[in-house]
Amino acid sequence: MIAVALGSGEAGTGSAATDRAARVGACLERARSGETAALGEIVRELNPLLWHVARSEGLAAEESADVVQTTWLELVRRLHEIRSPRALTSWLVTTTRREAWRVRELSRRQDPDGAARLAAVPDPAPGPGEQLLADEEDQVLWRHVQRLPERCRKLLRVVAHVSRPDYAAVAQALGMPVGSIGPTRGRCLAKLREMLRADPGWSR
Amino acid sequence: MTSPADLPLDGTDRVILDRLAGIYARLDPPPADLDERVTFAIALEDADAEVARLSRQLMAGSGARSTERTRTITFDADSRAVMITVAVRADGLVRIDGWLAPAAALRVELRLLEPAPPRIVLADPSGRFAFDGVPHGIAQLLVHQPADEAAPRVITPAFSL
Repeated sequence: MIAVALGSGEAGTGSAATDRAARVGACLERARSGETAALGEIVRELNPLLWHVARSEGLAAEESADVVQTTWLELVRRLHEIRSPRALTSWLVTTTRREAWRVRELSRRQDPDGAARLAAVPDPAPGPGEQLLADEEDQVLWRHVQRLPERCRKLLRVVAHVSRPDYAAVAQALGMPVGSIGPTRGRCLAKLREMLRADPGWSR
Repeated sequence: MTSPADLPLDGTDRVILDRLAGIYARLDPPPADLDERVTFAIALEDADAEVARLSRQLMAGSGARSTERTRTITFDADSRAVMITVAVRADGLVRIDGWLAPAAALRVELRLLEPAPPRIVLADPSGRFAFDGVPHGIAQLLVHQPADEAAPRVITPAFSL
C-alpha cells in the first residue's frame, strides 16, 4: 500500500514540489513583513526533522527542544538571509546542528563526566525500542539500523525526516554526495539495503 | 562499475526511509508542546532582540520534607545573563525569583500564553526581580533596555512553568 502511495507521489513530485515551494515562499514573505505567525505552518512541518537533528547530535530531550526553539528564533532575525524556499530547510538543519554542537560543548565543559556518560549512550531508546514496534518489518528494519555504524544511524535518522523536495539540499548540507540527476542513495542507505536484502524477514 | 551508493533514490529507498521516520516518531517523539513553544516564542515580533540561550537547568527540592519543588534556570546572552528560580507553591501557582547579571534596574517582562496578560516588574539595583502567583504554562522573559540605550532587549526562549 505504501509502495502504491509512493509510486503516485513519485509521479507527482514535480508539481507537488512547486506547490510547496510557493506555499513556503508565501509564508516567508509574510513573516518578513512582520507577521511571524505565518511561520506556524512551517514550524509544524519541520519541527520533527529539527528535533531529530538535535537528538542525533547526542543532546538530551530538554536540550534538544531548546536548540530547536533557538533555531527558529534565529530564523526570525535572519529572514532576509533566506534567499529561497528551497534554502530554508537546509538553513534550519545547519543552524540546528551548529546550535547542538554549541550546547554539547558547553555541557561538556560544565560537567565533563556527564558529557562522557551522554557520549556512551549509543542511541536514544535502543534496547526497549524493538518491543515498542508491533510491526514485524519495522522490527527487522530497526534491528539492522542498529547494526550500522553510528555515523550512518545519525545520518539516516535525519535523512528519513527530510521531505523529497528538500532532499538534495539537506543531503548536501549534511555532507552527502548528490548525483548529477538528483539525490543519490549514499553509502549508509546502500549498506542498509544490502543487509535487508539478505534478511528473510524483509520482503521488499 | 557504478556503486549502489551512487544510484538515484528509488521507491524501495523511500519505503525504507518512510518506515524509519515512523519508527523514530514512535521511539523518540518531540515533546508534545514543542510546536506550541516555538510558535509562542516567535510570535514576539522583535527581530532586533538578543536571544539568550538556556545554559543550565537544575532541579532541587524533591526531598520528602520539601513542600516546594524548585528549578533553577540560567539563560545567557552576550550582554547579560538571566537566572531564575521557579518554585511551585502549595496552591499550585508558581513563584519566580530572578536576577540579572550584570545587575541593573531594568524592566523585566513575563510573557504568558494568551489570554493571560504579560506581567512587568522593575528589577532592583542589585538586579533582583520576582513574579508571584503565576499560572502554569508556557512563558518567556524579556529584559527591556532604557529608552535612551541603543542595546537590544534580551529575550529568553519559551519555557514551561
